[in-house]
Amino acid sequence: MISVTKTVAELLSLIIDEMYGELPSRIFSMLLKRGRSTAHDLEQALEMNKSKLRHGLAVLQQYNLLYWHVNAGAQHAFYEANVENAYNLIRAGKILEMIGASYGGPAKDVMQNLLLSGQTRIGDLVAAYQEKIELDNKAKEAAEDPSSYKSPLPVKDTSTLNSVICRLVEADLVDLVHHNSFEPPDDIVERAKKEVTDKHFPTGIRGTKAKIEFDEKLSERLREFRSESKALKRKLEQNGSAAKRRKLAGGVGLLDAEMDPALDLNQVIRINYEKCMVDLRNRRLVQYAADIFSDTTSYVYAEVLKHLTKDISRCRLDPLVDRYKEDDKPAQLTVTTAEILDRVKTSLDLSLGLGKITREKLSRRAAETICPYPPTKNVIIGEAEVQGDASSDEEGPEQSTDDEDFDSDYKPNGINGVNGQAKVDKSKPIVFSRPDQLRQHLLLLAESNQKFVRQCAKDEWTVDFELVMDAMRESEIDLAIENTAGQRGLRLVRILRANGKLDEKALPQVALLPKNEIQRTMHAMHEAGFLNIQEIPREAKADVKKSFFLWYTDLNRAQQNIINKSYKTMSHCLQVLETLRHKEDEVLAHTKRSDVKGHEEEMLKAEFFQRYKRFLQCEKMLLSQVMRVDDLVAVLRDF
Amino acid sequence: MASVKPENDDAKIEILKNALYDAIIQHGSDSRLFSQSDLFDLNVIPNGNLPLLLRVIQALTNDKLLIGVTNNQGILAGWRYRSREDAKKYTSLPDETTVLVYQAIDEAGNDGIWKRTIENRVNITDAVMKTCIKILEQKGYIASMRSVENPNRKMYIRADLRPSDRATGGPWFNENGELDDHFIQELQGIVFEFIKEQGAYHQSKGASSNNGSLKPPKNGAVTASPSVVAGTKRPAQEMASDNVTPTATPVKPAAPATRVLKKPEIYLPRPAGYKEYPTIPTITQYIHDLGITSNVTLGESDIKQLVDILVYDGVVEKIKVGKRLGYRVIKPTKQCLVPYPDRAKQRAAGINVDLPYTGLYPESNGLTEAPCAKCPVFSLCEEGGTVSPSNCVYFLEWLGLEKRKKGEEEGEAVNGVNGDLKKLAVGAPP
Repeated sequence: MISVTKTVAELLSLIIDEMYGELPSRIFSMLLKRGRSTAHDLEQALEMNKSKLRHGLAVLQQYNLLYWHVNAGAQHAFYEANVENAYNLIRAGKILEMIGASYGGPAKDVMQNLLLSGQTRIGDLVAAYQEKIELDNKAKEAAEDPSSYKSPLPVKDTSTLNSVICRLVEADLVDLVHHNSFEPPDDIVERAKKEVTDKHFPTGIRGTKAKIEFDEKLSERLREFRSESKALKRKLEQNGSAAKRRKLAGGVGLLDAEMDPALDLNQVIRINYEKCMVDLRNRRLVQYAADIFSDTTSYVYAEVLKHLTKDISRCRLDPLVDRYKEDDKPAQLTVTTAEILDRVKTSLDLSLGLGKITREKLSRRAAETICPYPPTKNVIIGEAEVQGDASSDEEGPEQSTDDEDFDSDYKPNGINGVNGQAKVDKSKPIVFSRPDQLRQHLLLLAESNQKFVRQCAKDEWTVDFELVMDAMRESEIDLAIENTAGQRGLRLVRILRANGKLDEKALPQVALLPKNEIQRTMHAMHEAGFLNIQEIPREAKADVKKSFFLWYTDLNRAQQNIINKSYKTMSHCLQVLETLRHKEDEVLAHTKRSDVKGHEEEMLKAEFFQRYKRFLQCEKMLLSQVMRVDDLVAVLRDF
Repeated sequence: MASVKPENDDAKIEILKNALYDAIIQHGSDSRLFSQSDLFDLNVIPNGNLPLLLRVIQALTNDKLLIGVTNNQGILAGWRYRSREDAKKYTSLPDETTVLVYQAIDEAGNDGIWKRTIENRVNITDAVMKTCIKILEQKGYIASMRSVENPNRKMYIRADLRPSDRATGGPWFNENGELDDHFIQELQGIVFEFIKEQGAYHQSKGASSNNGSLKPPKNGAVTASPSVVAGTKRPAQEMASDNVTPTATPVKPAAPATRVLKKPEIYLPRPAGYKEYPTIPTITQYIHDLGITSNVTLGESDIKQLVDILVYDGVVEKIKVGKRLGYRVIKPTKQCLVPYPDRAKQRAAGINVDLPYTGLYPESNGLTEAPCAKCPVFSLCEEGGTVSPSNCVYFLEWLGLEKRKKGEEEGEAVNGVNGDLKKLAVGAPP
């Protein structure tokens, strides 16, 4: 959730200005300023004439940047800004790139069109493509050699388009627009509350038991609302998903266009940002794993994530909606080693990316620890604080033998896992079969402190996203601290994180740093918002000289701080871009001319062209910088 | 009873006193606490004669040979003995105040005691305190010392004791009570190097992909895509792209079995369940065997302190394999291949100076790269304010515009808004 602060409001109107022009941007920022308002209110506040305002509102609505609500029998609709979607506009480029990489060019093209035209009727989309395809066909006929003509279009016929849309809907990346899509989320909750009360609790809710029951009923109802946009997906799945059909047909066809049902042309579709975020999160996690281990391991991780997130539709669960009864909680998503093995590209050498190991140095038992339940956060802290190298109170009976726990006749799951030598030389590096190599990577991920994966049963793997993301968030915050206050500053903050509140006098001993340096660094970090200080008087008089001063660090505050800083930085980038644009007005005015567009190099004077080129370069730098800052925001806020 | 035969009695006490003291010395060190029954059990005082025992103890206490110890409720818990030499120091002191001062210093042991604390405890003025200290220092019984915790306090300690680790700060402080930064840094580097070498697998250059003893790869060498072999980072989209659209990554043609894959020199993570990650004891042993810390002996707790710092610095991490808590380097594949001693030499020669002593270059993200991250007026910067993004010089510099502006003629610079329409740059439309 984004809380709309001044910085956020500024940023959002800048983004909309950048994407859709000044008019929608002005209306949007006024909506942010005033909250829910009618068209009449806006007209007054903006001193804008009616037709212009209507036009602006239509644009905003087309791009899903607006909620509206009409009270029964009321004359006017109330409009409200859709903050989440406005922010998501920044991510358009990233989403397109991700779609292109994992679903191919045609899907990317369709997605791009959806981004450019907002929510679209499938029929309109098909018509637009039809037109393009016809043009292309004409060009093909006109070409000198039609057989060698290469079409620039990624989507070459409408049946391909149909199946691309089907794929995107099945992947949940695109969903349906329906009559509730524009209802403000708060209103939906209120409505659901009212419905549930009227239906099940006409006499009111009394007692804790009824309260719990009410909550469950409410989230059930909210889930119903939510599932309306998934109607098309469900319908497609009834026919069996593409993968299943492919299996049944026994073929390996790329896009079996003929087998997809024709879509209802009157349905309106739009991009589902929530699911896109899940896929973006996967990519970020893969990158994180590559950072910490190796590329080979991260590749394996990518497969695990891809498989596991197929049915995850959002990064963070909504506490109101995703509250299930004990017995119908969705089952934990798992993936087996064999399933991953089936997906790993054959060109990938799984022996890379891991050190060799000899039998005597390997403890199978320790590596293969199975944790059926996700560890609670307290346990992690508890574990982190275990000192010394052997603590007897942990792990329990299964860990009883530490030596001799590499069974020489261990049979890996795979078919070609043969280690059947009678005498095993313990000092020689172990040779793993491919399934076992894969397992080694998975085990490495499971053993990590970041808890990338968890082996929940023998050869079954799952990911506790919250834990990994916590680790990743912490590492991002650490990075920000390290860049502000250096490695030594980071050291101090992490000491506080491990020990809680500490007196300044206690720090030099732990941090092994000179006192004055500590003082300097601490104050710098206090200023930057990474640290807080608490004064505890020693006596009733609260003499400052005698008081204790305790330093502490607050992860959430630091995180919020960085997010706010990021918003501001993004705004600044966009504002600088605007300034540059203003400065280069002279040049840009020329490039907008229809005869110059596309032929800038020939048409523009050399000097102007240089300036134009430089401007484009700056624009690219600034926009990609905004995207990069957003990467950070996504990790800290959304994933 | 004492009044009947005082002289005879005194002599008796004198004998018993010596006998009891000798017996006590035989039964333990000067830190042992002897209770009343312990003293009876020494069989020096006949017949369990309590008054007699008390008189003997009183006599010994007067001679400073026994010290009464009270527990925390203020009740006498027993006695400790003091060696004759130490006791002699007490008896040689001129007055009771000096004795009390000396006693306070004595009791503080090797932690030393603050001058002010003594004054408060003995309840004397500063002037009296000074004379006492003077006497004691002249006799060579006490010495002044400095504690790391409170370097400005005037502390005293018995002259024959060495200040404790708590007072000196342990091995990390030099003689002046200052933190020995250089020593710590050097040692940290060595420990880091050890953890890096032991906790990660060092793949040497040009090793074959499969060990000689392995079975030859089936249907030609199964190799990774070239980027993986090169150890460079594959872009995430390449990884994510697999399988939905089978990209045409060319699988290398079947290579002859004799071909040896060139591998880069790199650190690799150890497989899960590796049992020999360095632990505090092994690191301590290693440092001990190196013999680089000749004048200080570093215990496990000292090394632990050092390794903890590395953990806090974010360059190594704890890793638990079974019950064994070891340490390993983080991000092994990104680690610098130059061993620490060479790195130190390079640094001395002025190469790679910005590389931290341990670990990697600090990474950056979108936020830290933007000029705003290091901007001193970030909080003031606002469109419409005195400092605003539209007149930001840092951004211009970052975009590479500022430098040009200096180098080029005014008219061509990016902010040359003096639009000269005569310079109409567009060619005439056809």
